[in-house]
Amino acid sequence: MTATPVVTELPPAEASAPPAARRRRSRPGRLAAWAVVVVFGGFGLLPAYWMLVTSLTPREQAFSYPPSLIPDSLTLDNVASLGDNPDLFRYLTNSIVVSVITAVLSVIVSAYMGYSFSKFRYRGRRSLMYLVLSSQMFPQALMLVTLYAVFSAYGLLNSYAALVLSFTTFTLPLCVWMLKGFFDTIPDSLVEAARVDGASRLRIIHAIVLPLSAPGLVAAGLFAFVRGWNDFIFALTLAGPDKQTLPPGLVNSYLGEASAAWPELMAASLMASIPVVIAFIAAQRYLVGGITVGAIKG
Amino acid sequence: MAVTHSTSNRTAGEPRRLGDGAFALVLTLPGFALLAAVVLYPLIAALVTAFFEQSLVLPGREFVGFDNLRDVFQDDFWQLLRQTLVFTAGSTILPFVIGFGLALALNTGIRGQRVFRGLLLVPWLVPGVVVSFLWMWIFNANYGVLNGVLENIGLLDSPQAWLADPGQASAAVIIAKTWQSFPWIMVMLLAALQTVPVELHEAAEVDGAGAVRRFFAITVPHLKGIIGIVLLLELIWNFQHFDIIYVMTGGGPAGSTQTFATAVYETAFKGFDLGHAGAIGLLWMLILMVFVVVYVRYSERGEEK
Repeated sequence: MTATPVVTELPPAEASAPPAARRRRSRPGRLAAWAVVVVFGGFGLLPAYWMLVTSLTPREQAFSYPPSLIPDSLTLDNVASLGDNPDLFRYLTNSIVVSVITAVLSVIVSAYMGYSFSKFRYRGRRSLMYLVLSSQMFPQALMLVTLYAVFSAYGLLNSYAALVLSFTTFTLPLCVWMLKGFFDTIPDSLVEAARVDGASRLRIIHAIVLPLSAPGLVAAGLFAFVRGWNDFIFALTLAGPDKQTLPPGLVNSYLGEASAAWPELMAASLMASIPVVIAFIAAQRYLVGGITVGAIKG
Repeated sequence: MAVTHSTSNRTAGEPRRLGDGAFALVLTLPGFALLAAVVLYPLIAALVTAFFEQSLVLPGREFVGFDNLRDVFQDDFWQLLRQTLVFTAGSTILPFVIGFGLALALNTGIRGQRVFRGLLLVPWLVPGVVVSFLWMWIFNANYGVLNGVLENIGLLDSPQAWLADPGQASAAVIIAKTWQSFPWIMVMLLAALQTVPVELHEAAEVDGAGAVRRFFAITVPHLKGIIGIVLLLELIWNFQHFDIIYVMTGGGPAGSTQTFATAVYETAFKGFDLGHAGAIGLLWMLILMVFVVVYVRYSERGEEK
């Protein structure tokens, strides 16, 4: 999930069973559907299978040619040998620290911004919303050309701060839109009632709106976590060896060598992928309801 | 924000208040501060360096006008443009075909639809470097599974060093990017397909319209909006994609997979030549803006309907 700031709504799993009884398909139609699933689905799933198999295959077997598609024997040696590499542990720690802080900061910043866009009407609101959205359209490699100098000037190179600030910024379009969607579903009358009762505007946000939007906050936080976890180019450029996260860390650890240790690298890749899959499964539950697909909406 | 002049209905015991409009703007400040510092300023400053001779590692800079831009055109601009467009087109069309095909197939309500949809999302979720590693291993010259399988079924006489051949390497990065992109397209189109009224299909079927006819007369028009959004966003993203190319080939062999993204990065962070990088970036941005303007126009039009 690298560049996906467009708000994507997955239809809730339950609803994906079509309404009423779906028409029974003709036999050729069903065959065609299965053919597509086998061929295209195979393209989607077989590489993932190969990553799994390689990471569980003994070294000598992985480096034999031709490779056997079904392994003769399985081993956890490759996974275990990851523990021998102290760098990996540092990269992992950095990834966790940076992604968690990014998630928290992103939720805080986007909640206020999303609330402003959702519950207030003021001149320039729409333009500001477009400005937030448009930030996802610009090339990051180009921003880095001078962002590097900016962070360098403030002594932020090789720090968690450089990564957290960048990642948080790039989560804004997605998270602001998600949270705005959640806030939109909270009736204005509720906010008005609290106001009549004398609650201050900040208190309304903190005591009423945010608790009601808890699922949205969790989902936004999970997406921000994944964004930070998966990033490569910023972590590669702005963080030195001490603060590097897993993606650039794995590149530096494994691809530099003349003969890469593929089984270990596949095992490491698997480890690096598990958190984002779990985060997504957790977030998917909350992605029900009015978040619109892709479009820019006022 | 100056709060002192605010006169809006103060109640006793409450501190001076901002008007609602000002309060709403204050709420957006942290976000806009980040956007200004991390996106807007660096972007504009990078474009400005196009007109300066400036190094990443040395202080100071010198105004050189259009020299950098001229150098870029004399150097490899057209090659970069061609390679970037090939990557962009391939990495948009292939995932679209696969994603659309899978969405249609899964929408027929075949058994295991939910499981398939969930599993097929994985390539899109995992980090881009993981996608790159996996396909480098698959395309590996000595032990790669692709060589093994192709030799086994007789399509190949001897193992290929896929990533060492310019043409094959370009195809390889497109295939890896396709694997990463198709799930998102599949999910978007599947969600849209489920809004196509079943009755419409049934009525057309009763009237004798075949599956192909119904696909073009009912399904495609119904999905036109979302198809346009998906394609335009993929074009915009792929036009600036970095991770997979940089990790898999580093722009090689012999610069054959270099795109604007990797070229700007290499020029700035390996060649230390910020002026040249800024000049490539300026041209890159100009072309990208064409896609973005089309996208904004398109999504605005969709909204008016």
